[in-house]
Amino acid sequence: MGRGLIRRAIDWGTRKSPWIIHFNAGSCNGCDIEVVDALTPRYDLERFGMLQQGTPRHADVLVCTGAVTLQTRDRLIQIYEQMPEPRFVVAVGTCACSGGIFDGCYGVVGGIDAVIPVSAYVPGCAARPEAIIDGVVKLLTALKKQQKEGPIVVKAEGDEIVKAETLSGEVVYEKDKEEVSQ
Amino acid sequence: MDINSTLIAVFLFPGLLFLCAYATTLEFVDRHVYARLQNRQGPPWYQPIADFLKLMGKEVIIPAGADKTMYKLLPLVSFAAVATAFLCVPVFGPAVKAFNGDLIVVLYLLTIPTACFYLAGWYSTSIYATIGSVRALTQLFSYEVPLFMALLAPAMLAGSWSITEISAYYTANPLYVLFNLPALVVALLAVQGKLERVPFDLPEAETELAGGTFVEYSGRYYAMFRMTVDCELVVLSALIAAIFVPLSFDIWWMEVLCFFISTLLIVFVLTFIRATMPRVRIDQMVRFCWIYLTPLAMAQIILNLFLRGVVG
Ligand code: SF4
Repeated sequence: MGRGLIRRAIDWGTRKSPWIIHFNAGSCNGCDIEVVDALTPRYDLERFGMLQQGTPRHADVLVCTGAVTLQTRDRLIQIYEQMPEPRFVVAVGTCACSGGIFDGCYGVVGGIDAVIPVSAYVPGCAARPEAIIDGVVKLLTALKKQQKEGPIVVKAEGDEIVKAETLSGEVVYEKDKEEVSQ
Repeated sequence: MDINSTLIAVFLFPGLLFLCAYATTLEFVDRHVYARLQNRQGPPWYQPIADFLKLMGKEVIIPAGADKTMYKLLPLVSFAAVATAFLCVPVFGPAVKAFNGDLIVVLYLLTIPTACFYLAGWYSTSIYATIGSVRALTQLFSYEVPLFMALLAPAMLAGSWSITEISAYYTANPLYVLFNLPALVVALLAVQGKLERVPFDLPEAETELAGGTFVEYSGRYYAMFRMTVDCELVVLSALIAAIFVPLSFDIWWMEVLCFFISTLLIVFVLTFIRATMPRVRIDQMVRFCWIYLTPLAMAQIILNLFLRGVVG
């Protein structure tokens, strides 16, 4: 897709400087410690331009851990809405991906994606720091593809995805067929 | 100077464009040295540019309770003040606009950003920002006095208020710089407070105030504020280099080399202080500035006045 020079520069900047903010939606603290681990000099996230920010206004990536409880649901939505576009959400840990062992509890709403849209899932109980870094880098790689080719349009029947194609008409996924391309 | 060369000097070199380019370079140097001191790789060289471009492209959210005009105006005003101050500081030889008294003008222009940070925090009506801005103001009253005195003491010995003349005086008498060493120490520590860096980064204090004065700032206005702080680093290091480093050459590339080496050295020292110290409390900061830095700077002034009487 033809994009202007300024658009391309801004897209490049968005990929190269993902500032993260960490939110605990109801984790058992196992995943939080791993997230904090990933921020230590040993793993050196600044190589990818990642910086931890204190406020959602400066952040691009919301790193969420744990299943969403009734108590944190409103706060999570609030924090998500305080972030300026473009924003991404990474769900870290099995609980954040699906609700994990807490799914179905009386106080638990479910995974992060039960409340806000999630861009990348990092499973694991607890997810290793390497896995978290890998997840964010994969998100950025996917973002590059999306910036080049435009958003992917998904058609769904009920809960099932029937067809997914890019704006230029390239079919990425079709039901009853082998996966066309990654 | 005719109008064309003035415009080039103001906007291209050594004005706005060079200032921004060197500011991004110094931010990279600062972050890279910081990372190396922590025994890690650190960000790639283009990181400050990527941060800036990203922030330029991001959505701007102005809080409902904030004053919209002030919110948009303050980053511009603070950036303009720093860019103007840079024109009075000697870069590769004489400054673009050198006159008697430009040292005072530069120091006052450099106070404007801090006042803007305070107002920015105040007008964005967030509790974190308010605490941060009040701290910024408290801090201003602590480090500004020693900083002014430390930079004015060498001027007293040189007997001039013009940065270019001070620099020329010390080039002629390089040994006199040794008398100014206490002032250099005071200036370096006070600059750390001015730039809101560890150990005096109380107004931002990410871990307790979530970003302090800039909590509500996003997108291009925040990018402007970041740029302002980076440019302040350039102006202050160039200023300290001009006053405390008694070197000046006739050959132009020696002059250029000397400028880069001395500013980089100053930034390295500032980064070293940042990397090796924890954050202090606001009362400790105020006490440190008033009990140690200010008397030291005062003693320096008295010494310099005495010396001035001796050497004539
Ligand atoms: S995935 Fe495991 S470690 Fe992480 S929050 Fe859930 S139970 Fe805790």
